[in-house]
Amino acid sequence: MTIDQLQTQIEEIKQQLNAETNLSEEIKTKYLGKKGLFRTLVKEIPNISNEDKKEAGQILNQLKEEIETKFSQVQNQKSTKKIDFTMPAEERTVGHMHPISQATEEISSIFEKIGFTRARYPEIDWDWYVFESLNMPPSHPARDEWETFFVDVPEEVTEVSYDADNPRKRHPSLVGGKMVLTTHTSNGQVREMERLKKPPIRMINIARCYRRQQDATHTQMFHQFEGLVVDEGINIQNLKGTLDYFAKEFYGEGTKSRIRPFHFQFTEPSFEVDFSCHICNGTGKKDGEKCKFCKSGWHEVGGAGMVHPNVLKAGGIDPEKYTGFAFGWGVERTYTLKEGLNIDDIRLLYSGDLRFLKQF
Amino acid sequence: MNILIPHQWLLEHLDTNVSPEELQRTVSLSGPSIERIYDIEGDRVYDIEVTTNRVDSMSIRGIARESAVILNQFGHQAKLKELNSQEVTKSDESLPLPKIVNDPKLSKRITCVILKDVKRTPTPEWMAKRLIQTEMNVHDSVIDITNYITHELGHPCHAFDYDKVMNTGGEIIVTEANKGETFKTLDGNQFETFGGEVVFKNGQGEIIDLPSIKGTINTSIDASTKNVLLLLESIIAPKVRFASMSHAIRTTAAQLMEKNVDPNLITPTLEFGVKLYKELCNAKVASEVYDDFPGKITPKTVSVTLQKISDYLGLSLEGSTVQKILENLGCDVSIDDQTINVTPPTFRPDLLMGADIIEEIARIYGYHNLPSVLMDTKIPLDKPKETNFAIENKIKRFLSAIGWQEIYSYSMVSQEIALQSGYKIDDHLKLQNPLTDDRVYMRRSLVPSLSEIIAMNPLEKALSVFEISNVYHPQGDNKLPNEDLHLTLVSSRDYRQVRGDFEVMLKQLFIDQYNIDEDGEITINKEKIGSVLADKSLICFDLEFKLLLKHAKTHPTYQPIPKTSFINEDMTFTIQEDISLGKVLKEIEEQSPLITQVTLKDQYKENYTFNIEYHDPTKNISGVEVEPIRILVSKVVEDKFNAQLIGQVD
Repeated sequence: MTIDQLQTQIEEIKQQLNAETNLSEEIKTKYLGKKGLFRTLVKEIPNISNEDKKEAGQILNQLKEEIETKFSQVQNQKSTKKIDFTMPAEERTVGHMHPISQATEEISSIFEKIGFTRARYPEIDWDWYVFESLNMPPSHPARDEWETFFVDVPEEVTEVSYDADNPRKRHPSLVGGKMVLTTHTSNGQVREMERLKKPPIRMINIARCYRRQQDATHTQMFHQFEGLVVDEGINIQNLKGTLDYFAKEFYGEGTKSRIRPFHFQFTEPSFEVDFSCHICNGTGKKDGEKCKFCKSGWHEVGGAGMVHPNVLKAGGIDPEKYTGFAFGWGVERTYTLKEGLNIDDIRLLYSGDLRFLKQF
Repeated sequence: MNILIPHQWLLEHLDTNVSPEELQRTVSLSGPSIERIYDIEGDRVYDIEVTTNRVDSMSIRGIARESAVILNQFGHQAKLKELNSQEVTKSDESLPLPKIVNDPKLSKRITCVILKDVKRTPTPEWMAKRLIQTEMNVHDSVIDITNYITHELGHPCHAFDYDKVMNTGGEIIVTEANKGETFKTLDGNQFETFGGEVVFKNGQGEIIDLPSIKGTINTSIDASTKNVLLLLESIIAPKVRFASMSHAIRTTAAQLMEKNVDPNLITPTLEFGVKLYKELCNAKVASEVYDDFPGKITPKTVSVTLQKISDYLGLSLEGSTVQKILENLGCDVSIDDQTINVTPPTFRPDLLMGADIIEEIARIYGYHNLPSVLMDTKIPLDKPKETNFAIENKIKRFLSAIGWQEIYSYSMVSQEIALQSGYKIDDHLKLQNPLTDDRVYMRRSLVPSLSEIIAMNPLEKALSVFEISNVYHPQGDNKLPNEDLHLTLVSSRDYRQVRGDFEVMLKQLFIDQYNIDEDGEITINKEKIGSVLADKSLICFDLEFKLLLKHAKTHPTYQPIPKTSFINEDMTFTIQEDISLGKVLKEIEEQSPLITQVTLKDQYKENYTFNIEYHDPTKNISGVEVEPIRILVSKVVEDKFNAQLIGQVD
């Protein structure tokens, strides 16, 4: 017998098997019994030429497996006794991704879709990156010890006088500085400008931040996300477009954003960002009553603005040629606004209390 | 910073007939945010958030000025009323002024006047009502006038007891306090100076006022006061903030003065105060107005082109539109071809450069009037090299799916937790100004934090937690610490289960080969990536994320599905406890290339059953080939590890 003939016979057996309507024990013997169809073929092996013997063995093995599988499936079905579908479940133990991770993942994927690159920058940084490069002069209140954590290290600072127009002359690589825990993710702005050296810049930075504060809505450690876009021709309309896009993606179709005047040292103009309330659709009223979830139809979520020319200078970018916008706000705040979430004390997020974490 | 503005009081400076709701809506879109409207004492009271750069809006007059411009822009009738101030004229009765010694580096201006025979009248009802509406206390006229005029016009002022000042020498010296001096504020609280606070002293060196913050009891009004020295000064902002914050005296005056209130406001505030003292307390002006103003500043002219304005707004505005907006805000404006030259009023020291001017134009024009358009500029393709957020997320998802709870714990830890890392306390970065005792040191390991969390959840049996966070390794003076991302797993389950989870996690990253030695060192391709340790019945895997990342792959290398058959056999040995089982497994594996896998199948006391898999990808093997290997394995294991095979090998 040649290998081709063997192949043909194998195919015939397979077809025959597929045609069987009742896969009983009797039929099984017909195929796999001592005098069954499979054995008959095995007995042909000595008649096959030596060079094909190996292949013959392999294809016969496959056939045997196929036949066995077919019968074992039937076997399983038969042996199943009636299942009581009302029996309670036996749950697997699963863990939970922390809500901040879930929010972070969602936020970054939203921005990545419109070309933002996620970056990570130091949590302990020079006060130059955290404050001074962001147009906050040495006397600015945010830089004093009541709001900012300072690291207790000996300070070696070369005295160079502050000049808002030439921020890079006090760069920490030249004069040293104070080490602080970052109070916001905005230290990433000038760091990203330094990394890329020139526009286009479209960055998102999500990170731990630290401030000297502690109550039901503030923790010493919290998370912010920060967006930065710099290029030729970037204007306020683009910021509005980006915020509208995020609002719709994160809170759902129909959510709108608006910007109102505000003040930050590192943006000019500066804006407060509101998202329309998704509970009352921005009307401030639900079922004829005042919406319990928002302030007159809107939620204040964070800050934004056009990058201050001094900040561009600090990052080595020509403010005459380029403009940009930045936005940033708390991950906790953004996340806890989700409908029906009802977290009233954000300290729980960092408590490690499993009774809380297991719900996510 | 918030300010309460009663609607009727506002209308004394603002001529309009819009409803409070419409005023709230429009002003919030283009100016300060009117967060709420309360009903207090028969009037609507606005609760308004004023940003720190706009202290000029922290008064009735300031809000009226902003509202007038914005309401006009929205097409409403509105006008800022003239301030009807009266120049202060001295009466016939005269008292000598104290001798004032200013330090121009500390105070930009000092202005005062003496008010004689002040009658202690109760605060009139109309004034009391407004004080209540704006959450201020009601005392009597002499005291309340100062708070009232500050709220109306925005510059703090202080009423001294004139006779108390004169009785201790009649001098007011502006100076910085030394360390360790004492003063008692008018509410009777005693303080000790840190040194550097700006204070008023008398000729004897006694502190007689904490200017721009709070009065001291030795010169303030009391029941016996007959003559008042009404004084307004302008201490430089950083000094006010320092003294107010370090002594925790957060008065309205301090909160205004630390934000650079325009010293030019002193004149109208003083004039308004004198008018009220005359009307309500029958006071007589007993001196000329003393006015020392060394810190006078002329605002600088700022230029901006129409092109720059349209760069920011994304649309073009007419020069005349721009001019009108800026003039309404109190600026002097001239247009020179395509350039706008703007001289801001003295109360707008925040307008320093082109971008500041553009903000004013844009907000009054209305941000809501600008379209919303996603940018069509180039997308940067240069990604940071050191990070891989996709793999971080993959690990988080996988571990949580197989039963691990993700934790976010604080980066700052207590001394006790810091020491559990195994590093000396001095080898940690320490906070200079921690807020609480339990958050002082920047942690060098996540293990103690996670172990603490397991201990905090005693109701959870067999708890497994993990965290991906930075640890902070100091790098010596003048260098930022090394922030090292760690993946740390801590579990109260047993070692083999935890290692099993770790192993399948590696497989998710397509890392098949790794080793853990007797000391718990974890290596991949001979490179150490972390360590495992057992601590108080907990198993901890601590991995350096960037090293793990180095070995992680995005996809496997496909291995052809084997066409030849496998042989699996079990062998059981009695092995003593002090033998490292990993070595036994490795030894067995090395006995023949036909041995493709050795697993520990079962353990009962000192008896270990190994399952050995034999395979040759080129041909089917049989018992004949396996037998000599089996004999070799049993001999080697017995000899090398002093073990005993259970059963026979042939």
